[in-house]
Amino acid sequence: MMTQITKRHPNKFLKDEYNELVKNHLEWNIRILESGSKPHSIVNGKEVIMLCSNNYLNLSNHPRLVKGAIDAAQKYGAGSGSVRAIAGTLKIHTEVEKRLARFKRTEAALIYQTGFAANSGLIPQLVGEGDIVISDELNHGSIIDGVRLTKADRAIYKHRDMSDLERVLKDADKKYRRILIITDGVFSMDGDIAPMDKIVKLANEFGAMTYVDDAHGEGVIGEDGRGIGAHFHIEGKIDVEMGTFSKAFGVVGGLIAGSQDLVNFAYNKSRTWLLSGSHPPAVSGAQLAAIDVLETEPEHVKRLWDNTSYFKKELNSLGFNTGGSETPITPVIVGESGKAKELSNKLYEEGVFALPIVFPMVARDKARIRTMMNAGLTQKDLDFALNKFEKLGKQLSII
Amino acid sequence: MSIKIGFLINPIAGMGGRVGLKGTDGVVDEAVRLGAHPVARQKAEEMLRAFSTFDQNHQEVLWITCAGNMGDAALEAVGITQKQIVYSPRGNTTSAHDTKNACTHFLTQHLDLLVFCGGDGTARDIFTVVDKKIPLLGIPAGVKMHSGIFGVTTHATAKMLYAFITKQLTVGDAEIMDLDEELYRRGEWKIRLYGIARGIIEPTYIQVGKSCFESVSDDEVKDELADHIKDELEKHSDRMFLFCTGGTIDYIAKKLNIDNTLLGIDAVYQKKLLAKDINEEQILQLLKQYPKAKILLSPIGAQGFILGRGNLQLSPAVITKIGIENIIVVATPSKLIHTPVLRVDTGDALLDRRFAKHGYLMVVIGYRLSRVMKLQTNSF
Repeated sequence: MMTQITKRHPNKFLKDEYNELVKNHLEWNIRILESGSKPHSIVNGKEVIMLCSNNYLNLSNHPRLVKGAIDAAQKYGAGSGSVRAIAGTLKIHTEVEKRLARFKRTEAALIYQTGFAANSGLIPQLVGEGDIVISDELNHGSIIDGVRLTKADRAIYKHRDMSDLERVLKDADKKYRRILIITDGVFSMDGDIAPMDKIVKLANEFGAMTYVDDAHGEGVIGEDGRGIGAHFHIEGKIDVEMGTFSKAFGVVGGLIAGSQDLVNFAYNKSRTWLLSGSHPPAVSGAQLAAIDVLETEPEHVKRLWDNTSYFKKELNSLGFNTGGSETPITPVIVGESGKAKELSNKLYEEGVFALPIVFPMVARDKARIRTMMNAGLTQKDLDFALNKFEKLGKQLSII
Repeated sequence: MSIKIGFLINPIAGMGGRVGLKGTDGVVDEAVRLGAHPVARQKAEEMLRAFSTFDQNHQEVLWITCAGNMGDAALEAVGITQKQIVYSPRGNTTSAHDTKNACTHFLTQHLDLLVFCGGDGTARDIFTVVDKKIPLLGIPAGVKMHSGIFGVTTHATAKMLYAFITKQLTVGDAEIMDLDEELYRRGEWKIRLYGIARGIIEPTYIQVGKSCFESVSDDEVKDELADHIKDELEKHSDRMFLFCTGGTIDYIAKKLNIDNTLLGIDAVYQKKLLAKDINEEQILQLLKQYPKAKILLSPIGAQGFILGRGNLQLSPAVITKIGIENIIVVATPSKLIHTPVLRVDTGDALLDRRFAKHGYLMVVIGYRLSRVMKLQTNSF
């Protein structure tokens, strides 16, 4: 006898799951920028000092980048027409890759559609069954997702702890075919830097590959913002330097830099690269201009670091705890999650836009406001922001 | 709605320790004769006072307790008025019988948590009645405190209690350990596992969006561990696997449809049960037939013992035959948060030294995911 089955609802879960997120205050409240991403932005109708964009060098509004985008669109059109592998590789794409390799001082480079596409497309091709990925415990979500797509075993080492990494390497050495060590270059929560020179040295001892996600280091650290390889003077010695055009470069797009062998392997094997449409010419035009600007206008990187030093120094002298940051990501650690959220809301009301990072993204007692410096901010802007931090810090008994 | 917390003091707990006895049950008169004084109530009050310093917002807590020294007097002493007495002991001297009777009454009260003050003996008495029906949190006041449900200090216990009430901590498995009385009577001091209770644990979070995290239950993590072990069994189909004691291994075995024993060691070959609840002699016999083997075990929460507590069947002879490199240690991340090191106490100094040489062991914490843990040999 047939049992009567209640007919399933095809899409009720969409509403249910969204409502659940709202109930737990986990949904994203999207803020609208009416001004473009600028040092002074209009966010949800209010003018604020921008302290939470990744537009570190303020290049997204640089006239040469805007012109580069317009010129490329006029020359090549609005779209590329295809995926890179079939009929979507324009000359300007290859020009960007050549210029990028020169800038990174590596043999070759490859552009991906996004940084996420680079990690999730390349990592699963580098390792498979019988291999191991050894990962810093605080690595970014896109690395974690890339690693999840592999059939390789995974081991984690304590954050930036080289002795712990060595222990894992010793254990893995006997058991696995390939070993891939993977780390963020600049860690996005604390602004600290992976000891890449030591990682490369250890990797060489064990015949392991090295992969660094330098999304927050590209355009920021190293000579003229060349990234983590230049920062440690080990250009060309990291097997995969992965980065992005979407942060300090002010455009969009993922990248890898390394050997020609790496690039040949990567574009033939990465499913994300092979199966996504290539960048519109305007994007490539702006990317090319961004590299030009970095090579010819060193003042942006200098201003970013000057602003960072000043802001950090003043925050510390006000009595704020800024943790162990070594980069333009400066956390202002306030303790409990509720306090961090309250400080962020009040800062916004006062005209400073900086978002809270709360548990479980960071430890329970380490909730913070994460500030990200921008080279376009003037000393007057920074003093304005510092003044608000001081006022609210005292009001909320943080300092 | 207010939270209901059971509160029980074993008034004689800890008295034996100061005068060199293994516990206090049944020997309280001897302890008093040797000069022992009650310590449990003082510890309980310390915990309650520390709790009130954390609880600035005065969470709504209803304390369900016992009369006099078994709970009420301590609550009264620190000024807690939101309380209800559900059990009164007869006479002035209490015993294990009173602890168990009180627990029978607690079972009808729909408690969110039972906070007790005592040692391993008290924990065992409570566990025999409440089993997994009420989560337990122990204020350390006994002679022995090997069980995974105790706070490290009275202050730490108060912190855990506050975190639980404010929903920062959750409930998971914890081991009930105590002295093996049979061996003790023969002159050996060995701690064994008596069961798996519900204790308070740190939740595990996974990232589900750029900055969106979801709490995953311990069972979900154990599902991953089971998937990992299933792969291992398939990969090493020529090996016998010894499934050891404890809640994590029990969960994995159940998931793989292996009819195991919670407190014993079982032999598994090609995903089928070979022998159940085997002793050292039986393991050695099986190793003649299946010389290639692996040991699957999980550390005891907080203390971190992987060998020497709760699995004495894994004798030095057994471990040497199988090889240190064939030991698979699995643990949930929530357990490792409160377990700073792994410990080994095989009873064979030479073998302990071989473990010490390793210094560290890999621990499987998820599907194909592992991390290094520091290893210490010999006990406390």
